[in-house]
Amino acid sequence: MMDDLDDLLAGASRALVQPSDALMARVLVDAADLQARPVVVAVVVRRAGWLAGLAALFGGAGSLVGVGSAAVVGLFFGFVQPDGLGAVSDLWAVGSVDQVDLMQQLDVLLAEE
Amino acid sequence: MPRDTLADLADEALVVLYANGDPDAARLLARRLLPRVLGYAGRMLGDRAEAEDVAQEAMLRLWKVAPEWRQGEAKVSTWIYRVVVNLCTDRLRARRRHRAEALDDVAEPADGAASVVARMIEADRMAALDLALAALPERQREAVVLRHIEGFSNPEIAEILQIGVEAVESLTARGKRALAVLLSGQRGALGYEDGGL
Repeated sequence: MMDDLDDLLAGASRALVQPSDALMARVLVDAADLQARPVVVAVVVRRAGWLAGLAALFGGAGSLVGVGSAAVVGLFFGFVQPDGLGAVSDLWAVGSVDQVDLMQQLDVLLAEE
Repeated sequence: MPRDTLADLADEALVVLYANGDPDAARLLARRLLPRVLGYAGRMLGDRAEAEDVAQEAMLRLWKVAPEWRQGEAKVSTWIYRVVVNLCTDRLRARRRHRAEALDDVAEPADGAASVVARMIEADRMAALDLALAALPERQREAVVLRHIEGFSNPEIAEILQIGVEAVESLTARGKRALAVLLSGQRGALGYEDGGL
């Protein structure tokens, strides 16, 4: 008895009830009405200028400022050559400085006419 | 997301996609769930139009709850069946109330099952099964349909009906025995040979 009942129930399980087109349409209209609209996020990508590119080349704006400052200070000392600068360089050069000519054959090319 | 990829996704993931605005997720969910909930509601209510209303309402509640859906907390199938069970229960209660008011002084038939069996004689097998199911007490009918037709496990049915697993086992066992009794003697009408059902 139970085997036959199991067959009957299994048959019912396989028999899917297909919704009508009208019902499916109603359900999908409900879904569309309640569905949150996708949020469109506008991403504005600004083109980097030549200055930003240069800064990036030196590792960022901070590094560029440092390099620029060092260059200005170097030029300043080069042109002005303050009196105390010789004493500082003497401190660095502890011993005597000998000049060694490693490429004597080039002296001909460098000789003034 | 491409439709082929969507088809591989679980119901829970589709609900989240629907909540995020995916236009195809709702269509796929409706194709998967609507036939099942419609079939269940039809068996419980015995009325196609009412079953369609219940199925639409259950799907509507799914669309509404989708934005708060948390993956891993519940299965969509058990959740929606719980909704359908409750909607059907409400309608059956309202129907009984209406009938009681309309037939206030009319006595109930002494043997409802006998009249049900009599109606089965000319019915086909599925119709006979539906009639027999309709004769079961409501809770037994829910348990038998969920277990043996919708294919849920006992713990899932316990979650849907919000009762214990032991109560589910008892309901399905008693329901199945009652079905067998209701259908016995109808083997010829049901297309079975003598000596079984």
